[in-house]
Amino acid sequence: MAHEATDTHPSKDAHHGHGVGRYFLIWALLLVGTATTVITGRMDLGAANIFIALLIASVKATLVVLFFMHMTEAPGANRLVFVVSLVFSIVLMIGVFGDLWTRNPMTLPTGASTFDAPER
Amino acid sequence: MSSSDTHAPNPHLAHHYETIEKQDYAVRLGMWLFLGTEVLLFAGLFLGYTVYRHFYHEAFHQASRHLDLWAGLTNTVVLITSSLTVALAYNAIKQGKTKLCAILLALTILCALAFLVIKGIEYNHKFQEGALPGKWYHYAEVTAPGANLYYTVYFLTTGLHAFHVIVGMSILIWILSRVLRGHFSESYYVPVELGGLYWHLVDLVWIFLFPLLYLI
Repeated sequence: MAHEATDTHPSKDAHHGHGVGRYFLIWALLLVGTATTVITGRMDLGAANIFIALLIASVKATLVVLFFMHMTEAPGANRLVFVVSLVFSIVLMIGVFGDLWTRNPMTLPTGASTFDAPER
Repeated sequence: MSSSDTHAPNPHLAHHYETIEKQDYAVRLGMWLFLGTEVLLFAGLFLGYTVYRHFYHEAFHQASRHLDLWAGLTNTVVLITSSLTVALAYNAIKQGKTKLCAILLALTILCALAFLVIKGIEYNHKFQEGALPGKWYHYAEVTAPGANLYYTVYFLTTGLHAFHVIVGMSILIWILSRVLRGHFSESYYVPVELGGLYWHLVDLVWIFLFPLLYLI
């Protein structure tokens, strides 16, 4: 019941909050990330394009979750439920990617041209 | 420190919680749980996008080049800025700065409106061009097979996202009205925090939608 015991409780900052500067720093980093993704998105880097785009988006999303959404201060249970949803999204994607990458060309829909299809 | 230590009942404490700390803990956990289900909802749509992009990558590439990059980029900047203002609004109410919090929430709501207006202009343009989902597709510039699927995914994902923008904006308007009526202070601000969390999720989804739709 003691206030000191609730170490990770967000209200520990209740009466001073964060410096406003930190929020502006994250905002600036998000804008830099946006500019970078537009520039790299317009370059022809082949298969690397999508990975760079997803990497930048993931970094931006991490900044938002950790600092704007204050996950750094959230108790463990809150972190757990959010991270578990990300983990299961990845499990879902791995399963479907496994299907896509191992398909027999005959099972592709009409007009489909996959990345590894030799004729195109 | 807080009124929960005394016998005077805290007006914000629901009867089924022993203390305001327990209530706040449960409320925050519930919000993160809800945000987790939102992640799963959009993960399904992103997966659909990935599958069709895999089958029709040429059409997806061409169609993405016909989106208005400047509109998408402006909307990205608008949403990132609104995420900043809502985070600052939360920071302000934590320090009891009610007026500053109200101004920052109003700015966030304006950003939400700007986002919707820009999105509406984009949609209108797509309707005129015939860049529509499924059997309504009659856009002459992209004829590669699967182009209509790109616009199905485009309208589904951005439409569901725009719906979240409308819901988030409505929540923020309600919270702003409560801030103006003096409901929140440095000792009670959880609704401002949770409304802000929802708004950040709207920003998170767009952070992924923007490169995947506009920059492939």
